[in-house]
Amino acid sequence: MATLADEQVDFITRVIRAHGIRLQDLQDNLLDHICILVEQGLEQGGSFEEVLARVFRSCYHKELYELEEEALFLSSVKGPRLVLSRGKFFRWLFGIFLSPYLLYFLLALLHWLPAAYDVVPMVIFRWTLVGCFWPLVSLAVIFFTPERFEPLIPRHAKVMLGGGSLIRVFRFEASLVE
Amino acid sequence: MYISHMVYSTELLKGTLKTIVLKLLADNKKMYGYEITQRVKEITADKIQITEGALYPTLHALEADKLVTTEVEYIGKRVRKYYSLSPAGKVKTKEKINELTSFIQTMTLLLELKPKTI
Repeated sequence: MATLADEQVDFITRVIRAHGIRLQDLQDNLLDHICILVEQGLEQGGSFEEVLARVFRSCYHKELYELEEEALFLSSVKGPRLVLSRGKFFRWLFGIFLSPYLLYFLLALLHWLPAAYDVVPMVIFRWTLVGCFWPLVSLAVIFFTPERFEPLIPRHAKVMLGGGSLIRVFRFEASLVE
Repeated sequence: MYISHMVYSTELLKGTLKTIVLKLLADNKKMYGYEITQRVKEITADKIQITEGALYPTLHALEADKLVTTEVEYIGKRVRKYYSLSPAGKVKTKEKINELTSFIQTMTLLLELKPKTI
């Protein structure tokens, strides 16, 4: 079987790094795997560059760094967790922010609150303004920002809420393996 | 999940990759990544092909969970990483296989299937 020269191995290492793989463990595994496939490809004919390009492209769907994100994702998902789409995440966030205030005003509207609570509205109003309005405006701006501006949570991101990591954002369609 | 397949859908294979890898490591003392992909292809007659994108993140996760131990071999400038089961991994493998076996039996019952060889 063809054996790659040290320069070719170095070249593949640089390509792997240039594609965003930073975990040493993953770099080593990919390097060995790609080298084996390239050596096999060279046996069947073709130049090193052609074979490498073909092999490299078969390693991922969109970007190679997806592998690293998947690796980090899988090693961080421990214990109960909840994975939400961006839309759901914001709906939940809005709901959590708004629900106490909405509940209060609903009860007030129905005259179900004790008389003593009549003094509260101004306080509630101020807190709504400070604690809710501005965060909601900020979130709305993020929500409606076009994807090309790389907002805080990209449009196709998945947001994971869990014990291991309180909140994590993933830029790809993360698969929950087990 | 990056499992390319000839017969089975991704949904069907989802959740079985860890079990597959653990079982292979239980049957073989130590294996490296490429070897695992080839062994799966060979056993399943090409019906399941595990890609790099599926395998290495899973191996990374198994190592983080301390279910596998690793040793490296230097081949020129390359590092070949061999994986083998840790004591915790051996226990986990049994659990996973029992769970999957029970699941398959339940599905066989549910769908009124007759077991058939591949």
